[in-house]
Amino acid sequence: MDHASSRLFVTRRQAVRGGAALAVAPALAMPFVGDAEAAAPLKIGMVLAKTGSLVDQSEYLAAGTVMALEEANNTVLGRPCQIVWLDEPTPQAAQQNMQKLIQEQRVIAVIGGALSSDALAMESVAGRLKMPFVITNAAAREITGRDCNRYTFRLQPDVPVQARVLSPYLMGYGRKWYFITANYAFGQDIRRTFQDLLKAAGGSVVGDDQVPLGTPDYSSFILKIREAKPDMILGGIVGGDLSTFLKQWNELGMKGKIPFAEIAIGDTDIWGVGPEAATGIFTSMWWYKNPANTPEEQNFAAAYLKRHGKPAADKAWMGWIGMRSLLGGIELAKSTAPAAIVRGLESWRTKVGDLEVGYRKFDHQLVLRTLVIETKPKITDKWDYFDVKAALPKTAAELPAVFGSEQEVGCHMAAI
Amino acid sequence: MLDLLLSQAANGLVLGVLYVLIAVGLSIIFGLLGIVNFAHGAFFALGAFVALTLVERFGWWAAIGAPFIVGGVGMVVELSLIRRLYNREPLIGLILTFALALLIEALIRVIWGSAMRPFSPPTLFSGFLIWGPVLITRYRLFVLAATVAILLGLWAFFAWTPFGRILRAGGRDAEMVGLLGINLPAVFTWTFGLGCALAGAAGLLAAPLWAVDPSMASDAVMPAFVIVTIGGLGSYPGAIIAGLLVGIVTALTIQFAPQASSAAMYVLMAVVLLLRPRGLLGERWERFE
Repeated sequence: MDHASSRLFVTRRQAVRGGAALAVAPALAMPFVGDAEAAAPLKIGMVLAKTGSLVDQSEYLAAGTVMALEEANNTVLGRPCQIVWLDEPTPQAAQQNMQKLIQEQRVIAVIGGALSSDALAMESVAGRLKMPFVITNAAAREITGRDCNRYTFRLQPDVPVQARVLSPYLMGYGRKWYFITANYAFGQDIRRTFQDLLKAAGGSVVGDDQVPLGTPDYSSFILKIREAKPDMILGGIVGGDLSTFLKQWNELGMKGKIPFAEIAIGDTDIWGVGPEAATGIFTSMWWYKNPANTPEEQNFAAAYLKRHGKPAADKAWMGWIGMRSLLGGIELAKSTAPAAIVRGLESWRTKVGDLEVGYRKFDHQLVLRTLVIETKPKITDKWDYFDVKAALPKTAAELPAVFGSEQEVGCHMAAI
Repeated sequence: MLDLLLSQAANGLVLGVLYVLIAVGLSIIFGLLGIVNFAHGAFFALGAFVALTLVERFGWWAAIGAPFIVGGVGMVVELSLIRRLYNREPLIGLILTFALALLIEALIRVIWGSAMRPFSPPTLFSGFLIWGPVLITRYRLFVLAATVAILLGLWAFFAWTPFGRILRAGGRDAEMVGLLGINLPAVFTWTFGLGCALAGAAGLLAAPLWAVDPSMASDAVMPAFVIVTIGGLGSYPGAIIAGLLVGIVTALTIQFAPQASSAAMYVLMAVVLLLRPRGLLGERWERFE
């Protein structure tokens, strides 16, 4: 073999060396691949509205969620962690987006669910695909009731809980109530629950209007309310509809004449009404100026104000505490395995005042006090609209009764 | 009860005139350009947000500029996008204007943010009046007066000005108007601008009554389409009658069957179309036959 031909043909020795190199290559490459996987960020999915009428609330929820991760230096279990945010335009699309996050993005958990119908749709995916899911806003009772599952956790107390908290407070204003509620699941739930509580307390319903979603003009409803002369208006209208109602309520000279109350509103709904027209008694999970806020919450409120140039709405806090619970659950799990994260979330606790707050074992509902807030008689600040009237129930011992027993809630979870 | 019904009817009338203002713009655009403008509601929302900025910066008097600014935006849109739709498949127009509606809503979110914005009526028009059984707010009376003034001005413009006559003639037979040496593309641009300005004016007037947020268009655009259909496509007086009818029927339905209040206008539309498929004052238009 001349020199030229030796360049074209592989010698036996070279072949042996090459074969050995090929055999060893995967083994040599393995530690590198392993290191790359360890360095690759963990992903947490976030499904919140990017379009439609819920965007306003969702932006606050998302901002709070992101801030909680940043507080943890964008790490969990000592590894970098990032959020992947997809939209929830309809229940079906929310479900598809959740599946996409699980199957394509390989997220370790999902957080979000601004609207009850979207959250319920995503909850079924969480149960089927065994994915830890923390719902930060939706309030439908079925989420932690009939449709509950082991992988889903929920932050906001449902309609019956908030109704049990608020109704004794409202009875002080009188027992002739007028109901104006949106004609869909959330509004119907409010109507049914409050009417039962009112009748049980010996009160009477003097008017009961179920309003289509997206009603642009409430003046005709307001004229009916004016005619009925109730002691209290109990509302169940949401988002922009609530703002429109309160604007027209003020326009027709009714502000201050008959008290208006509603549960589970967002601060943004009332900020959007403006200081002249804003009025009402509401339930809320958090208020940025509540003197009873913990030092951690005060730091969060200050950091939010510094970063966004405006105060944190209740929804921002809900995103923040929801993400803190999820990160805390993952840390307790010491693993990214879904079942371990679920157990971690079940064990997660945080201190709020005198309360040890956490998700209940049997329905995964976060148990904490609800604030009763009322608009200030004269609003002089662009953001400072409310006075905190009470944090209910007063004692920790009353919480189980307010949140309902296992039988009342009706959640039957399967094992992991 | 009769007192309450009278009060409800008066309120319905005000709601109706607001719908009329939205629907007339839609009707004018369809009548002359043959375009079903799905972005009309977005121009309505744009009117509210532009007015908000003008009021915040310069005071209430400046809000009158909002319809003109929205009209100007409409003219730019016609020159850059709508112009390409003439003599094409109607479906392309539907898709493009639908996309345009989403784009304008997104732009509103980018410029003004997603939050609902407070917008109160001027103090001059705060408070309400009670005439016998009828309770009506000063601001609603102002809306009624302003809308009637705009509609009268529009009628005078169409009836008595040469440009108004060109618009009416162009709507019936654009080709013939072009053959007479009239610059029809320019007429189309002004017409689209006028329709958008009317939507902007409606947005300005509605802003102190409705929640001002980027998705407010959805509350306006469906009633506008229903009114145009009931009144007869492209019919200006038809839109006025239909708008008032829809307002009053909606208000009276609230009194007796509140759950059905948003469906009432669709029932009205179905009844009218069954009895008169062209709508109340719909005419036989050569170009659409």
